[in-house]
Amino acid sequence: MLDYLFYLLTFVIGSILGLLYSYKLHGEPYVADSSLDIKALIISVVGWVLAFNSGNVILGGIGFLLAGFVMGERPGYGRKETAIGLAIAIIIYLILHLMM
Amino acid sequence: MADILINVIIAFLAGSLLLGLHRKIMARVQKRPGPPIIQHLLHSLKFFFKETAFPKTVSMPFYIGIVFILAAIWIVGVIVGPVTHDSLLILFGVYAVYKIVEHNSGSSSGSPYGKASCVRAVLSAATELPLFAAVVLVYLVTGSMNIGNIISYQAANGPLVFSIPLAAIMFFLLLLSKSPYSPFGITKDKALISGFETEHFGFLRGFIMFSESISWYVMLWVFLTLFFGPLNVVGYVIGMIVITFITGFINAVTPILNPNHSVMSQITIGAICFVGTVLMILI
Repeated sequence: MLDYLFYLLTFVIGSILGLLYSYKLHGEPYVADSSLDIKALIISVVGWVLAFNSGNVILGGIGFLLAGFVMGERPGYGRKETAIGLAIAIIIYLILHLMM
Repeated sequence: MADILINVIIAFLAGSLLLGLHRKIMARVQKRPGPPIIQHLLHSLKFFFKETAFPKTVSMPFYIGIVFILAAIWIVGVIVGPVTHDSLLILFGVYAVYKIVEHNSGSSSGSPYGKASCVRAVLSAATELPLFAAVVLVYLVTGSMNIGNIISYQAANGPLVFSIPLAAIMFFLLLLSKSPYSPFGITKDKALISGFETEHFGFLRGFIMFSESISWYVMLWVFLTLFFGPLNVVGYVIGMIVITFITGFINAVTPILNPNHSVMSQITIGAICFVGTVLMILI
């Protein structure tokens, strides 16, 4: 159970960091930029893929930290990136676990 | 001891995130951006560092004690459920005490909103009838009240949701009643401000939110364990997210019922499901 606690904590810490970073970046009172953020997309894909497929506690923790960072961004930001990252990670998970 | 501590922290964090997700889903259904998923957790933590004020009208021992009792009963829920897989009767007792806590929390505050919520807490005990009926039906089918034995039964005979689906609906009704902004959430009707929590500030409110997060996690865990057979961690995560999604969607599109309608709806659905399940077992 300690592994899952570690994953949850890293996800929460990542979300808090993402929220703080996102508010620093976007101080507007509305969602000003709804285009795809490539940097956040890369972080999200790497994060979710590591979180679901690494099979290692440390790497999984880093994955959840990165995934939480993007998912925890200010409302209106990081949604598409999270969805794409999650979809890619699930596809890779299914390929690795069901096809093999 | 370490196992209990780890499970309680997991229940708190996972429950907070799920309740945050619940708020987010409700917001998205209502075409609002909604708060970040982490918001419920941040709120809970924030209250521990806020100034705690004590209204002059409170009945002090109850007012403070009840909050710690609330936290204690849901920690017992974690111990009985995810940690030891013990008896369902203890969990039923936990839920019964929770209703008493709602009642006393409202009455001890001295606030008219708290007192109105306290009266409604007595009415809302109607949610315990479907819960009790569901527990009885699970016992009739599996022959045991022990969660470990029920898991073993399902491992051998398949998930109970397929053999007694109406009992699962009854239990789901309890989850729906306990979820935030529920149509059956008469104790926290916005006409009563925050209901029995209205006069609890600072770290006392923090403890209440801490307990609510744990209670959401425990009830989802019990529901999934009782009706969906032996699940692994991924199964629990997916199940909890799906149920949170469904309750969030229902709560977002359903107005709160008045107390009479709420109680009658719960009892009617409970009675239909109970009779239906008994017939299914007999036939």
